[in-house]
Amino acid sequence: MDLNLIKKLVRILDTSGLTDLEVEESGFKIKIAKKVKTVSVNGQVQSIQSVSADPVLSESNANTDAKSGSNEDENKNQHTILSPIVGTFYRAPAPDAENYVKVGDEVSQGSVLCIVEAMKLMNEIECDVSGKIIRIFVENGKPVEYNQPLFLIQTD
Amino acid sequence: MFNKILIANRGEIALRILRTCKELGIKTVAVYSSADRESLHVTYADEAVCIGPPQSKDSYLKISSIISAAHITGADAIHPGYGFLAENAHFSEICAETGIKFIGPSPEMIRAMGDKAFAKETMKKNGVPVIPGSDGVVSTPEEGMELAEEIGYPVIIKPSAGGGGKGMRVVYQESEFRVAFQTAGNEAESFFGNPAVYIEKFLENPRHVEIQIMGDMFGNIFQYGERDCSVQRRHQKLIEESPSPAIDNKIRKQMGDAAILGAKSVNYEGAGTVEFLLDKNKKFYFMEMNTRIQVEHPVTELICGVDLIRLQINVAAGEKIDILPRPPFGHAIEFRINAEDPDQNFRPSPGKITSLHFPGGFGVRIDSHIYQSYTIPPYYDSLVAKLIVWGIDREHAILRGRRALEEFVIEGIKTTIPFHLKVLEDDKFKSGNFDTSFLDNFLK
Repeated sequence: MDLNLIKKLVRILDTSGLTDLEVEESGFKIKIAKKVKTVSVNGQVQSIQSVSADPVLSESNANTDAKSGSNEDENKNQHTILSPIVGTFYRAPAPDAENYVKVGDEVSQGSVLCIVEAMKLMNEIECDVSGKIIRIFVENGKPVEYNQPLFLIQTD
Repeated sequence: MFNKILIANRGEIALRILRTCKELGIKTVAVYSSADRESLHVTYADEAVCIGPPQSKDSYLKISSIISAAHITGADAIHPGYGFLAENAHFSEICAETGIKFIGPSPEMIRAMGDKAFAKETMKKNGVPVIPGSDGVVSTPEEGMELAEEIGYPVIIKPSAGGGGKGMRVVYQESEFRVAFQTAGNEAESFFGNPAVYIEKFLENPRHVEIQIMGDMFGNIFQYGERDCSVQRRHQKLIEESPSPAIDNKIRKQMGDAAILGAKSVNYEGAGTVEFLLDKNKKFYFMEMNTRIQVEHPVTELICGVDLIRLQINVAAGEKIDILPRPPFGHAIEFRINAEDPDQNFRPSPGKITSLHFPGGFGVRIDSHIYQSYTIPPYYDSLVAKLIVWGIDREHAILRGRRALEEFVIEGIKTTIPFHLKVLEDDKFKSGNFDTSFLDNFLK
């Protein structure tokens, strides 16, 4: 049983709109599920998040001008911003400055979300969709690798 | 000694370096492209950093990503392995500028030996026999033709800035010279960005014999014997062995001394290989010097009982070389096992390994990163394993090689294992009396 694989699966489930995830390989089978909030609308029960079958992480082209690498989530309303480079993640342009964004902020295409510093160069990471920030995955000052999830955006 | 080493490579050599680091108690960092997420070197290292997408130019060749990975993990040294950035002077320079020790030679050394025409000139000045040829770059076809007249046809036109068979033209007579000169220059320009060429006497069907050297920062240079790499297909080595069946102890000593002379003349530090060509009359000539650890280094390790990666690390950490060369013991042969189909012109055969069994027993060594159910990515070279065998003499090594290859099971992909078995049956190979034309003739 591969613990790294299980951690990856949990992360996929967590950052997506999926409610259940089941994987089967020779000699190995796992099912993970999470609770979903349901909302009654006009007497009908609707779950907020829809389910689809595609895997979360797909190959993206990393741009060298530090535009964010993105991947399309199963749920069309959620979008994860991935780091296009290796470096150190900073929430603000300078140590004493205000953070670029926080959870709940509305952002649009081209908004600067954060800095990833690599070899003393401050690379501004831009958002490539419009929406609301619902999650920030990395703490200020922590290292990030290529394709590491940084922000979760609820798109309009 | 270093606290943490980042290995800027992948596949079998990354694993090889990681193993020695573990033995030395040095912490390790692996870097990987997104296509190598499941690779063994990633799980084996203490830490791993994803540095880019599958394409080498955006990952394993991307200097900024690798340096950044070293910074965020606090690595104090980088081992470049072979290929990729191992002989990239710019990378060596940036490591130095950012306070990371590059386990390899200085940028100046890499540049000096990387410039083939200059390297040859330097060797010649220092008394190392070189192939008769031009004094550096030849600027015009007229100059070239005059020189070729002196040297005697056939001659070969070679690019100063590169190798691997590109930008090279063999000329058998004067009437062909002008056109060959122009096309060689154009090809050199498109492959290496530099049209400069030089000219040498063309040795027909030479043997390729190289000497392993190691230099420390105290000016000591030692040589650890030779490797015969004459079994090549399109300038790619497939089988290497030591000692060379072509030379006696007298020539062996001369070549070893010449290699040390050459390395001393440039104050060489670290692991290096001085490549010679041996002609039909057993005269040897300097061809080029490689300023890195080579794929076939295990052959020397088995003969000399030395861990060359450990020596590299020690030398880079400022220590004196402590394993001095002893007379070689026994005979070693390396077989490069590639994921290629020998029946389909060695067409690459990436895919999933469904069944795997490594041979074992006395005198059998496998350097490989593959495991059962591993999928070989299509983005990188096709080397999946190196099988190196040791025997008390050449005949014994061949018998053991056959035994080990027959035991070796890799299913799900095509490999060159059956091809190696065929070569071991060949009388010419068994006689030890062959040159670099052997494989081309064997494959006809």
